[in-house]
Amino acid sequence: MISTSHVVRRVSGERAFRAATLSALALLSLFFTGIVVSLAAYTDWDTLFSTLVSREILFAIKLSVVTATITTLLSVTIAIPVAYAISQTEFPGKSIVDTILDLPIVISPIALGAALLVFFNTPIGAGIENNVLRFVFEVPGIVLAQFTVVSALAVRLLKSTFDSIDPRYEQVGRTLGCSKLRVFFRVTFPLARNGLITSGILTWARALGEFGATVTLVGATEMKTETLPIAIFLSLAGADIEKAVAVIFILITIAAVALITLRKISGKAYPI
Amino acid sequence: MIEIKSLSLQLGPFSLNDVNLAVDDKEYFVILGPTGAGKTVIIECIAGLHSLRKGEIWVDGNNVTSLPPEKRKIGYLPQDYALFPFLDVKENIMFGLREKDFPKKEMKGKVEPLAGLLGISHLLNRHVQTLSGGEKQRVALARALAISPKILLLDEPLSSLDVRTSKYLRLELRRFHEELGVTTIHVTHNLMEAEEMADRIAILDMGRLEQVGTPDEVFFYPRTETVSEFIGTPNILDCEHYKTLGHGLMEAVCGGISIILPYQGNGVKKIAFFPRDIHVSINKPIGPEVKYLRGVVVKIEPFSSLVRLRVKAGENILLAELPGDTFQSMDIGVGQEVFLVLKMRTLRIHC
Repeated sequence: MISTSHVVRRVSGERAFRAATLSALALLSLFFTGIVVSLAAYTDWDTLFSTLVSREILFAIKLSVVTATITTLLSVTIAIPVAYAISQTEFPGKSIVDTILDLPIVISPIALGAALLVFFNTPIGAGIENNVLRFVFEVPGIVLAQFTVVSALAVRLLKSTFDSIDPRYEQVGRTLGCSKLRVFFRVTFPLARNGLITSGILTWARALGEFGATVTLVGATEMKTETLPIAIFLSLAGADIEKAVAVIFILITIAAVALITLRKISGKAYPI
Repeated sequence: MIEIKSLSLQLGPFSLNDVNLAVDDKEYFVILGPTGAGKTVIIECIAGLHSLRKGEIWVDGNNVTSLPPEKRKIGYLPQDYALFPFLDVKENIMFGLREKDFPKKEMKGKVEPLAGLLGISHLLNRHVQTLSGGEKQRVALARALAISPKILLLDEPLSSLDVRTSKYLRLELRRFHEELGVTTIHVTHNLMEAEEMADRIAILDMGRLEQVGTPDEVFFYPRTETVSEFIGTPNILDCEHYKTLGHGLMEAVCGGISIILPYQGNGVKKIAFFPRDIHVSINKPIGPEVKYLRGVVVKIEPFSSLVRLRVKAGENILLAELPGDTFQSMDIGVGQEVFLVLKMRTLRIHC
């Protein structure tokens, strides 16, 4: 028989646990909200709007959006077959390959940028620089730096999408007349649609905010390699805090739009 | 005709061992076995979903072992139906037709009669996620049948449905089979489902084929202990002679004991009844002597929460099952005389 004191103890224990978890949640939410509010408090709104339409910031927005979009298209295009192979195929050394593909996620972006810089000082890298396309201190270098950092993220996100698809769908598609390639486009691709969009949005947002590898490989040249994060860096370096705050607001707005879109998409997911 | 020749396959810890099987044209063939027996793997091999290291699969005299699934013209209904969630019902059914470049104008003429036969015409514009289990099964069946397959493979098609729907769909599946005449292989772990639906049954256990035969052959002539156990270890008695009693009854003499049963007309070769359907009593039941059998307990074995008694009655050793607590209250020992009552409706008769 359960005693009254036991029930009281259990209820108070549950309340304490609930209070502890909700307090942690409130603290962290307040921390992030506090940062945004402090930015808003610091901002002179006239300066913000004039900064937003300045030539330099419009250039940074355009460069960031264009490079992040190219990087995303490249990353997702390559990540689709790579993630599918890792998810659906068994081969010797698979776990080693899987680990290698994860490395860029955990390595510091500055280290990755430095590694790229070193690569372009090798004979092969120098050959590419001189005969194919210049990357170091040039705009294509921004795309390369972003790609190096975010492609692994795209692979990881897409792999989890392909992992979640029941192989039965493909099997049924095969018996209904599809070849292996056709079944990928007619069955797997539509099933992975939401995962592909999610992966694209997160990859794009991550590429847009990439700084460490980019600044190491292409430097921080105003109106040349000036992406939004580099614009923040240059503004702070020049003690132009208001300009930095304006750019931070742009990045926060883009991130918020991306996250809201993601929530909308995940609400429409198929039960696969 | 489908022929499986010396099929062996290793899939992780599971293996199929030298399976040989022949399924006739237009036959409704059921592969029956416990979970993990390898039933699904066999039909996946027929569908071409596994590459075989040993063995061959022939369809209508052609070796299809190395053909990919899309070239085999096989309709496959997986256990969970796997309806494409990004398509509506009509598009699901037309999926295979589109792949075969079936003329658009003729698609309607193909889909609508099929939907009519399966009773899903009213569902064609519905989204598959809004369908019930039984509706999903019919839509998946329509999708598989739309490509006019030579063979239909059904993997536990009724196991995820409630009892009522499942019973109804057993009859429906048989009806579709009679109307369309497609050679069908149906996989199940449910003995009653297999007996009700099959022209022939194959019993599979641990990747090995134990027996193939008509439902009566498998039930009354179990070839191995495994088969007997799988079908519920029935008592099967050979009957020597019989006589008509009138009032729709007859009396058969089987191994020296007399059993009253409903009139069968053609005579009686064997009578079977399950151990659970024997009522055991230590006191002589009230009523005429023909309504019970006398026997002597020769062995007592605990069996899960039950107790199994082996009772010598006439020349037969009958197996009876009692709940453990009932056995305790009866105080039965080896060598003791007991009375066995058989319920007439539980008798299974082979003529």
